[in-house]
Amino acid sequence: MNLVQKTAPYLRKPTARVSRFMGDVSVALLPLVVFAIYRHGLSAVWILLAAVLSMVLTEYVYNQIIDMLNGEKFKLKNKSFTISNMSIVTSGLIYGLTLSDVIPLQVVIIGGVVGTFLAKLIFGGLGQNIFNPAAFARVFVALSFGGAIAYEAYVDADAGATVLGVLANDLFDSSVTEYYSYWTMFSGIGMPGSLGETSALLIIVGGLYLFLRKSFDIFVPLTVIGTVALLSGTIALFHEDLGLWFPYTMVFSGGIMYAAVFMATDPITIPITRPGRVYFAFGVGALTLLIRIFGQLPEGVVFAIVFMNMFTPAIDYPKWTTNKFTLRSILIFAAIVIVTAAIATAGVHYAL
Amino acid sequence: MIQTNKQIANYKNISEDFERMEHVEPERVHIALNPPRCKDCETYVEVGDTVAIGQTLGVSQGPFFKLPVYSTVSGTVEAFTKKVMPGGEEDDVVVIKNDFKDTMHESVGERSDEEINAMSQQEIVDIVGDKALTGLGGAAFPTHIKMGTDKPIDVVIVNGVECEPYLNSDYVLMQERPEDMFKGLRYAMQAVSAPRGVVAVKETKKKLLAMLKEEAAKHSDLDISVVEVEDFYPQGWEIATFKSVTGIDVPVGTLPMEYGILGLNSSTIIGVYDALKYNMPVIDRYVTINGDAIKQPTMFKTRIGASTKHLLDKSGGFKEDAGDVNIVMGGPMMGQSTPYEDITITQTTASLLALRDENPVEEPCVRCGSCVYSCPVDIQPVQIMNAYKKGDKKALEQLEVNKCIECGICSYVCTSKIHLTDYMRKGKNFLR
Repeated sequence: MNLVQKTAPYLRKPTARVSRFMGDVSVALLPLVVFAIYRHGLSAVWILLAAVLSMVLTEYVYNQIIDMLNGEKFKLKNKSFTISNMSIVTSGLIYGLTLSDVIPLQVVIIGGVVGTFLAKLIFGGLGQNIFNPAAFARVFVALSFGGAIAYEAYVDADAGATVLGVLANDLFDSSVTEYYSYWTMFSGIGMPGSLGETSALLIIVGGLYLFLRKSFDIFVPLTVIGTVALLSGTIALFHEDLGLWFPYTMVFSGGIMYAAVFMATDPITIPITRPGRVYFAFGVGALTLLIRIFGQLPEGVVFAIVFMNMFTPAIDYPKWTTNKFTLRSILIFAAIVIVTAAIATAGVHYAL
Repeated sequence: MIQTNKQIANYKNISEDFERMEHVEPERVHIALNPPRCKDCETYVEVGDTVAIGQTLGVSQGPFFKLPVYSTVSGTVEAFTKKVMPGGEEDDVVVIKNDFKDTMHESVGERSDEEINAMSQQEIVDIVGDKALTGLGGAAFPTHIKMGTDKPIDVVIVNGVECEPYLNSDYVLMQERPEDMFKGLRYAMQAVSAPRGVVAVKETKKKLLAMLKEEAAKHSDLDISVVEVEDFYPQGWEIATFKSVTGIDVPVGTLPMEYGILGLNSSTIIGVYDALKYNMPVIDRYVTINGDAIKQPTMFKTRIGASTKHLLDKSGGFKEDAGDVNIVMGGPMMGQSTPYEDITITQTTASLLALRDENPVEEPCVRCGSCVYSCPVDIQPVQIMNAYKKGDKKALEQLEVNKCIECGICSYVCTSKIHLTDYMRKGKNFLR
């Protein structure tokens, strides 16, 4: 027995572990993985495997090369490579589930390698990255291999084009709700779309699990989805061709639910304070809706996330960062929300 | 876990209820001649002198006040030497051999209630100062300076909230002497002419609350009440207690007296009672010997100046399979770690914890934000750490690192087991 001298405090919370909360995200994704395999069969298995393995192996090889450059002996078990904290596995799963089931495997692998390397490793690995690796990989794939995965080109075997694909051509085409009932959009059964994004129900189940395990900040997904619902609701309110189906479709189709729960909540790439996270989430929701309505793409949530990731250091700037909601900050935020809603509404009215 | 964390889990499974209570009379005591905040000391006794309980051994000189040093046992002065104090530093002490007769010095004697009731603020303050009463909660701020305030005081708050895990010396003392505590509160209210007195206790201490409420009912002539406060960490931090009791948010760095609040620890208020009623300095101390490396956790009542080694032996010493042991004077969140077993018990020594060393492995920060969410003073530990690593003085100032009270919650909640509290200290030192 030895007496040791430490500095206070001497207790550490046992349940506070990186592996616990990263692993929790993987667990929350499991229902979606099962659902994707149930719907798409083996092709879903191959795509998810390719996504996870490409990311894990990239990190492993990168760490081996760095250690070699530092003049260390080659060992199969690399000391800097930590798969046990689950972070890279989780990124791989999140990335894989954003892809469609007809995407070629080599595209999945290239996206995984580039996303891990450019969005995570080059900044210094876990905790240092500016961009969400999964979102970055997805954006890279969408921009580089648009033809391979674009929603318009993608036709489900037993269904038609995606809801957002239809709305991208004509925003006021309420006939989408005849193809897909509210229940179809909510449950995801028979809904076309990428592997993980279709079932809002299972996403909510995963979100509830994360909430109960306190592994994410519930304010973020609520703000993202709330923003989309509020803005699209305001637009529908002031346009005679749009009804309740419009906000419902905006929230429950496409990747917004999935991204709000699993991508916008990645703490590494979002601001550190609760108000900052709310502002970030509002930005994601608003940008997504603006891209969907006014942009060329039918879907924009991953772009919105990557775009907002860039604002994280600005929101966290020491001069104004605070973890308290003050009356002043609430008023300014409310004003920005109202202005955004007004711009979107006016835009739909006059520009489309 | 990404959440606001205000609870410290008792994951070391340490019992806070003591079946074992022991009264230990030490064979010799080591009385510190330089109590905290004091530099020089003038001594009145020599080796070989016979001294009694409550006899003045010397006077130590503080920055703007004098504190006499009293003997806590009766016996003979053996030597002047140096001994390790709870802070880890060696200090001058006078060694007194106990004759176990407990002879009282002639200055100790009972005052009648009429005499005390007729006292002015200055008279009360003089007695409390003369008996060298300092804050027994840990800060050791001289009580007579607090009580001598010329600001109007609306409420005297007795802080009976021990929020650190495993500590309960105050809890035991309050259970043992509730009457004296309320009388001490009356004296304190009389001194500062406060219309209201409050005893704040954690809502989870049901037994103590019932006892105190019964006792408070006997003082219905004054506005004295017992307030249950929420059980969270750091509720015992006086600013948190004041906020829970009065709703007033005293800014860090200002004196609560300016907001009409006089806060005293529950042990201190009993010290006020002893000083006024019996003209007696504080000679006893409840000391918890606890921790997951201790064989038989025990609550001891002993004299100030006794050695912790003696108490450690009485509680069976360390477990054989304890591995590396971390000895902590004070609580597990804010206490002082020391590599010594033989330490002098001072007025503020509430506990000695022997904890198994955990040696957590630090991982990279994942920016989960738990430290930011949990910080009781609303600063951002993780951003302060990053600013300190970069040596960014301006950012450290903007992030208000000096507001940090070093409560330790950021290190406790950290998902990556980063020792953030240490970075807060470094950041503060860097700005100095």
